Amino acid sequence: MFLNLIDMALASEESAEVSGELASIANESVLTGLGINGSMFLAQLVNFAVVSAILWFLILKPITKKMAERQKMIDDSIANSKKIDENLSKSEKSYQEKIDMAKVEANKIMEKANCEASQTADVLKAKAKKEIEGVVEQARRNIQIEKEEVMLGLKKETADLMILALEKILNEKIDLKKDKELIENALKGVKD
Amino acid sequence: MHIPTLAPDTIFRLGDFPITNTMINAWIAILIFLILGIIIKKRVSLKPSKIQNFIEYFLDILLNYFDQVTGDRKKTMRFLPLVGSVFFFILISNWIGLLPGIGSITWDNKMLFRPSNTDLNLTVAMALTSVFLSHIMGLFAVGFFAYLNKFVQIGSLVKSFRKGPIAIFTAIIELAVGFLEIISEMAKVLSLSLRLFGNIFAGEVLMSVMISLVAFLVPTPFMLLEVLVGVIQAGVFSMLTLVYLTVATSKPHGEET
Repeated sequence: MFLNLIDMALASEESAEVSGELASIANESVLTGLGINGSMFLAQLVNFAVVSAILWFLILKPITKKMAERQKMIDDSIANSKKIDENLSKSEKSYQEKIDMAKVEANKIMEKANCEASQTADVLKAKAKKEIEGVVEQARRNIQIEKEEVMLGLKKETADLMILALEKILNEKIDLKKDKELIENALKGVKD
Repeated sequence: MHIPTLAPDTIFRLGDFPITNTMINAWIAILIFLILGIIIKKRVSLKPSKIQNFIEYFLDILLNYFDQVTGDRKKTMRFLPLVGSVFFFILISNWIGLLPGIGSITWDNKMLFRPSNTDLNLTVAMALTSVFLSHIMGLFAVGFFAYLNKFVQIGSLVKSFRKGPIAIFTAIIELAVGFLEIISEMAKVLSLSLRLFGNIFAGEVLMSVMISLVAFLVPTPFMLLEVLVGVIQAGVFSMLTLVYLTVATSKPHGEET
């Protein structure tokens, strides 16, 4: 009985081994049928690695690098153009501010100039008026002096004329004393 | 009629190493990228040439789509080496598969050229790389223990003992969810690789059948469809990779300040 049990156990072990072997053979035949082969698999793995290396180092890497460089260049250009625009608008703003300031300054200067001109004009007018008055006064004085001189001259001339006339009328030469009396009398008459 | 098999055909051997038709197509794609890369590397300038302009236009559209997922151009640029490589490699590989001669020129009764994404080895390699790198980037971005706590939430379980039975219950559930997360990570690799493989393989079979039935004009709409499928599959794979990367590098719930 016990031996039978051992035989049965051994038989079941053998059958398990056989079925395992059969399963592995079946698996191998399936893999062979599908073409799976260790060395072929390694060869294709190498092929794929070679393709990957070629694609990455000769095609994808240089092209993506250039694309990135170009993108950077475009970004930089856009950033620069923005900066230039900002600077331009700043410059325009500052230019406008300076122009406005200059206008304000110019207006102030104009106002100041007008004011100064008006003041100067008033001063000059007053000075001119004063000068004119001086000149007129001087002219009046000169006229007075000249008038007096003329009057004196006229008196002398008149006296001389009268002497001449009297000399002619009298036809005689009177002495100096009589002459003087006659002149004075004549002058008195002229004055009156 | 020559219907492609699931496994790629071995065209010749370099020593013991088999060279398959899908591998030849992958090398053609590598050669195209290498020539294009050398030209671009030499001519790249701020004032772009026609080729550079076209690639930049395409890349710009792609980056905008990626930005919608990551929400940040810096993150997009960090993930671009992987996601961009995945996208362009799948796209060009799929479109190369539509060129005349691919699938029709035979060598020793085997297709000489076959779309490289009809090889599960390549799709699994790409999916595994994407998921693995997403975890690596996640580890660096979030920190080792915080990232580990996304999957094995033992820290939360230990803390829950101080908070009471409901917190312990929640922590146990979160621990179980963490294990489900580990399974889902494996599912990511499977779904990514099988989706791409399935779509492109199905397209190849469809094209083979259509060309065998009527050689002229009738396959044209299907070829146009395949052009579209090529773009869509490249987009889906890369977008999913990007989602995995974005999720992995973002802080787990409760960690954000």
